[in-house]
Amino acid sequence: MNGEAILPYLIIIPLFGAFSMPIVNLLGRKAREAWAVMISGATLAVGSAIFYYVWDTKKILVYTLGAKSPLGQGVGFPIRIVWEVDLFGAIMVLMVTLVSFLAVLYSLGYMKHDTGLDKYYTLIIILELGMLGIAITGDLFNFYVFLEIMSIASYALVAFRNDTWEGIEAGIKYMFVGSIASSFVLLGIALLYGQYGTLTMSYLALKLAQSPSVTAKVALALFIAGLLFKSGASPVHMWLADAHPAAPSSISAMLSGLVIKIGGIYALTRILFSIYGASISVKTVGWVVIIFACITLIVGNAMAVIQNDMKRLLAYSSVGQIGYILLGLGIGLAAYGSQTGEIAMAGAIYHTFNHALMKALLFLIAGVVIHQLGTRDLNELSGLAKAMPKTTFAFLIGAAAIIGMPPLNGFASKWLIYESSAIFNPILGAIAIIGTAFCTAAYVKVLYTFFGRPSERVMKAKDPEGTMLWPIIILVVAIIVMGLFPWQISDKVMIPAVKALENQLAYVSAVLGGA
Amino acid sequence: MDVMGNIVYPVAGLLGLYGFVSLASLLWEGIDRKLVARMQRRVGPPLIQPFYDFLKLMSKETIVPNTANYMFRAAPVLALATAIALLAYTPMGFTPIMASKGDVIVFIYLLALISFFKIVGAISSGSPYAKIGAAREATVMVSREPAMMLAIFAIMWRLGKLGVDRPFSMGIFYQHNIWEIGTPMSFVGAIILLYVFCVWLASEIEVGFFNIPDAEEEIAEGLLVEYSGRYLALLKLTKALKAYIAASLVVAIFFPWGIADYFNLTGLSAEVVNLLFHTLKVFILLFVVESVFRAVTGRLKITQAVDFLWKNVFLASLVGSLLIAMEVIM
Repeated sequence: MNGEAILPYLIIIPLFGAFSMPIVNLLGRKAREAWAVMISGATLAVGSAIFYYVWDTKKILVYTLGAKSPLGQGVGFPIRIVWEVDLFGAIMVLMVTLVSFLAVLYSLGYMKHDTGLDKYYTLIIILELGMLGIAITGDLFNFYVFLEIMSIASYALVAFRNDTWEGIEAGIKYMFVGSIASSFVLLGIALLYGQYGTLTMSYLALKLAQSPSVTAKVALALFIAGLLFKSGASPVHMWLADAHPAAPSSISAMLSGLVIKIGGIYALTRILFSIYGASISVKTVGWVVIIFACITLIVGNAMAVIQNDMKRLLAYSSVGQIGYILLGLGIGLAAYGSQTGEIAMAGAIYHTFNHALMKALLFLIAGVVIHQLGTRDLNELSGLAKAMPKTTFAFLIGAAAIIGMPPLNGFASKWLIYESSAIFNPILGAIAIIGTAFCTAAYVKVLYTFFGRPSERVMKAKDPEGTMLWPIIILVVAIIVMGLFPWQISDKVMIPAVKALENQLAYVSAVLGGA
Repeated sequence: MDVMGNIVYPVAGLLGLYGFVSLASLLWEGIDRKLVARMQRRVGPPLIQPFYDFLKLMSKETIVPNTANYMFRAAPVLALATAIALLAYTPMGFTPIMASKGDVIVFIYLLALISFFKIVGAISSGSPYAKIGAAREATVMVSREPAMMLAIFAIMWRLGKLGVDRPFSMGIFYQHNIWEIGTPMSFVGAIILLYVFCVWLASEIEVGFFNIPDAEEEIAEGLLVEYSGRYLALLKLTKALKAYIAASLVVAIFFPWGIADYFNLTGLSAEVVNLLFHTLKVFILLFVVESVFRAVTGRLKITQAVDFLWKNVFLASLVGSLLIAMEVIM
């Protein structure tokens, strides 16, 4: 198998699927649904193949659009758009394709009663496309384009149910905030281009290391600001708490599981490590990230405790979990090159993947509950376990995993973050523990409701149909199986991913080659 | 892989321990009831009354309320399973079967998980009495565990400084013990922590002051109100196991000495002798903490118990831990 040969299909398949959807739609509902499942399934297959290839060969995949070599004729610098996938990118690709496939599958049952579904499936596949593009690109402007594809698709999907007031409200809020954030990123890119005259990430890294400038630092500040917006870090998390509850649940699962990580965490990590790694004081930037991480941790988890709306609770919990990932990232930067930093970064990447699974699971379950009962108010959902045993059991697993209970996958990733933060600075470890205490309180509250005395309203509900249940089952199995081999996964996948990420030289020379 | 060494022996050891501890802990319950009866000038039941109770409950019809969900039936089984798993990490006169670096967290986690399953089972019954009992159990649990955790981590950290191969493992107590440090400050600290652990033990097994979640007179058996038959039998067995395990922890920390060496025993026979001696120490500790405490005091109100655990026990734990840690820090 040749990784370079199949990499383009990661973009070709969803692009083809999305653009052909209006035509396929003419064949009727069944054809549309089958097409959406096939497209996302095929993308999952390609995504897994690429992950396996990158993991197996430990190479950095480089693909040049339009020519064999990224370098121009007779010049020593890249002039074409390149895609560059290291192990970190490949993990993200696998995560995106997996959760997207499950979300599409889930939509078949969940979105049954909505209209305009040809547009829905087009948008969901475009959303996936945008995220995949961000994960594989090695070109800064290409990154911006994919970021916007992802963002615009998610604005549209948040406001998809445009007959509800909250969908429109959340959509507008998200769009205004998100557009400003995107324009920060664009401004940063423009500054860098003006200063250094290149948009290829690896070549830019070289240029930055050769001649650091104030412009580069301003651009970095703009990147951090814009991408923290996208990742829903406190104090700019307010769009998230509205957007996630208002979106259809399959979309909430993708927003919370994927969008905030790819568009926020992944992009931030890539820019900080692979572009700026050698040219900035990683310690300073690391502490900036850590400060935001601590605020996010506390605010997100504490706000989750007081929510009565199930999806809002999950949304705030997402903010809290982003805090952990940012904490890992911040320590990974501040303790760059040491073993502590490596463990922290491995924890951050691991938690990104785990949280995508857990939060997708929890949002899909919330969707089932809303679908069956028409309410998200936790006060009305007492005793759900009686009427929906499978669903509540899956919720129990998801909640236990997100709190970080040992036999499940959340434990290992959180442990890496606790351990490294306690070694790096005990106060940060204490903050992380406080965040978890809040998180535990929030989820125990939900469980307390679910397992209580069944209310009148709840007794009418029952477990959902197959297309909605299977994605949930798959995620539960994934969470349990990943929980059984935490240290193997950490050693074989996450640590090598960190090593690849920290090895900026390899990232640069993969594109520039011998030049 | 060494199948015998890694799988067969530990499983056999765990099953053996499970059998032994079930018998010993139920027997202790019988002794406890007899002793308390004698303190109150009653004859009391025969020593093996808990075994009769267990068998009788097992044979009774099990009633499941129609408001109960699946966790009502799963929780007693899960609680017992957790207790059995916990035996593999419990120091009982010898290094635990599954001892490894950092397993103290597993121990604390599993011990708390038993209470958690009891709470979930109680909530799942749909009875408001059980729900009140569960809320009380959760409240007491949150209040009692920090004091214990602080103390145990301080002790383990201090003993780790003396040089051990597996830091923060439950086997550590058989390599060094807290009295060995020898300075007056650490001695005072150890005495304070002994007090903390005794109160913790009492609240863990819910006797005396802390017989709150089950408070049969006020909230009709609280947590266990809806349980009957087999499930009640399992929960009672779990409670007995938990009492033995929690007491084992305190014994291992403060009185870890074995007697096998005096008889020049090695191998399996040494472990058996140490286990029996350990059981004797557990019974003595439980006599003080459970029987006497239960006979001489009534229960506190829930608010009083929370106040007591935070303002008295946790503070004592803080002071004791600081005293233990002092000469290393300074």
